Amino acid sequence: MMDKSLQVVLVHILIHIGLIFFIFPTNIIDTTTAAHWIPILLGFLFHWILISLYTKGLSLFESQNLLDIYIQFSKPVAVIFLLPLFIYTFMVTSVTIRAYAETISLVFLSDTPLWAIMLLTLLISGYITSLGVQALFRTGMLMALIFFPLIAFVLCMSFQNVDWHYIFPLWNRHFSFLTNPDYLESSFAFFGGFMYLGFIQPKVLFKRKKIIWGSLLLLPFFLMAVYIPLLTFGEETASQYHFPFIVAVDTIDITWLMFDRITMFFLLCTVTFVMLFTALTAWINVEILRRCIPKSIRTSYIVIGLSLLTFIMGINIPDWRDVELLFGLNAWMRLYVYLTIPSSIFILGWISRRKEAAAA
Amino acid sequence: MMSRRLLLKLAMLACCTLTLSGCWDNRDINHRSLPVVMGISREDSKYKVFLDIPQTSDDGTRSMLVTRTGQTITEVVDEISSNMETRVDLLHLKVIIFERKYAEEGLIDSISSFMRSREISAKAMVAICDEDLGTFFSKLQKNSSSDQTVLYNFFEKNAGWSPSVAVTRTWEIFRSIHSYTRDIAIPLIKSGKSTVIENVGAAIIREGRMVGQITADETLLMNAFDEESAHGKIEVMNHASVLIVSNSMKHHVALKDGDPYMRSQINLKVSVLETRGEPSVDMIKDELETLLTQRFNKMFKNIQRHEADILGVGQYFRTRIPRNKLAHWRTEYLPRLKIDLDVKTTIQNEGNLKTVRDASIK
Repeated sequence: MMDKSLQVVLVHILIHIGLIFFIFPTNIIDTTTAAHWIPILLGFLFHWILISLYTKGLSLFESQNLLDIYIQFSKPVAVIFLLPLFIYTFMVTSVTIRAYAETISLVFLSDTPLWAIMLLTLLISGYITSLGVQALFRTGMLMALIFFPLIAFVLCMSFQNVDWHYIFPLWNRHFSFLTNPDYLESSFAFFGGFMYLGFIQPKVLFKRKKIIWGSLLLLPFFLMAVYIPLLTFGEETASQYHFPFIVAVDTIDITWLMFDRITMFFLLCTVTFVMLFTALTAWINVEILRRCIPKSIRTSYIVIGLSLLTFIMGINIPDWRDVELLFGLNAWMRLYVYLTIPSSIFILGWISRRKEAAAA
Repeated sequence: MMSRRLLLKLAMLACCTLTLSGCWDNRDINHRSLPVVMGISREDSKYKVFLDIPQTSDDGTRSMLVTRTGQTITEVVDEISSNMETRVDLLHLKVIIFERKYAEEGLIDSISSFMRSREISAKAMVAICDEDLGTFFSKLQKNSSSDQTVLYNFFEKNAGWSPSVAVTRTWEIFRSIHSYTRDIAIPLIKSGKSTVIENVGAAIIREGRMVGQITADETLLMNAFDEESAHGKIEVMNHASVLIVSNSMKHHVALKDGDPYMRSQINLKVSVLETRGEPSVDMIKDELETLLTQRFNKMFKNIQRHEADILGVGQYFRTRIPRNKLAHWRTEYLPRLKIDLDVKTTIQNEGNLKTVRDASIK
């Protein structure tokens, strides 16, 4: 079988870019008043350690699925770990779809009702899900080819209004951000999106080393998402915005470009990445569900059912405050899921290795 | 069987193109009015809004001036919209002009609502009008029937902008309202006698309120301090006039016994344009240096008196002063700031004619 590491690394970067540039900057800016690089680096370190641990654990099972691994130990083990994951993933898809629909309507489709935007995004992401995971990763490849140059252009131009003096003070003695609920919420971008790594094998094979080093490429994006608004506006002003990065991009003025607002390009690119993200998380849920229900039910029906449920949940969130509340709730689920699954996989892998060694 | 499914798929695909327009309640461009300039004044706690809307007709574009008063700016725009046959869309608003009286009362509410709005661009330029807005707009209309983007071009870097005009955008004013160490100057204009617009100077804004003003010459120095290019500006002195070719700044900051101290060096490269009598190169240099230093010191005293840091000097002290004290930069540190400006000029060339090199030769 072919090694698809490149595809996996690209999709990994794309879905994280989709998550980083919206709610993450305001979360980090709200956590502390100075030296924002400390929470960013700490969060990123967590992201990196968890990925290493998770992929290490997975590699001990030689391209087996997370589902296979848990079921091979016992059914209750599978339920303990996978039920929270299922609930978490379902919530994350609904809230993400809702939050991004709100962002889209805030920035450019102000007359379009939310349900129409949500329906469109869900239709596309549902379609990608139904095609299966290989198609999803190939789509990611295509998206990277088309949209990366645009994203790179916007990111380079976003340094236009930067005032480097705002970078100071560089140090902050108070680590109070650790207890700030906003910091927990920011984990959405740090480790909201790599659970799929446990499900794609053996359909999409990847090399552990490449994923781990590839994920390091995300660090500049994390830093830029927070520091560009900070350096453009200063901390005192940047903390006033819901979407600081989007406003910072809005201030870019390029006289030789025929387009007035390059925010549009940036937003459309990142929204497609978010569609990829929701398609991937929905796919995880479809995989879990397929094990629980009779084989006779076709996958496409599961996809349609799940998308419908997501849609219903999405339109039942009335305002932005509720979105934020759900994000907060979600953060606790995430903490549980993302701490238990990688560590349990690592420990189970270690146990099974010991057993094999004892048997031999 | 196969072909029927294919047909169905093709039909579905064709339906997808319907969503490509991506629009909801779409209004075509001929049903929209896109004002370029908006003027705002305040009378008896009510807003008076002026909209300058370009209209195309058979004999070229003409601009139409619409005025209305109301409780909020959005209400006024909405009312204008409902009274017109087209919908007013502020998407392409380029310049926002406040009347001086309103600017002195405080712009915080208006600027915040512009930032909140999804229609008005954060890049829209802001100016303050030194006379009654009604007369300003009527004169503007009379003098500029052929081209209604005069105001916009006046501020545009690659059109009519000159270095003695301040350029300020909405988001910069919003930043200055909240920032600890950065205030802003807004260009001050009025209708001119022979030209459409006359540059008066710049208004000193402190926390969203106009507190004072600086002259056009001082605005040039401010732009040079911010390292905006002061390129092409002509300085006239007693014995000569020179063209500033390039400028750069160097700053050195320190805290001396808790008092902020700053030493700045401004490097100017100039070329001689005109002379009166027979001044030597050194004389021109000396004259230019004393002129600029004096002018700068006068402006800086003015700034300190108003406690408004339009030069952004406080930015350089972000490393020296802890954050909680930085919040009081304007009131506690800025008035005590000592600044030494050193103007270094290099006369790059003297044009086509030779000028006396040294005074002793003469």
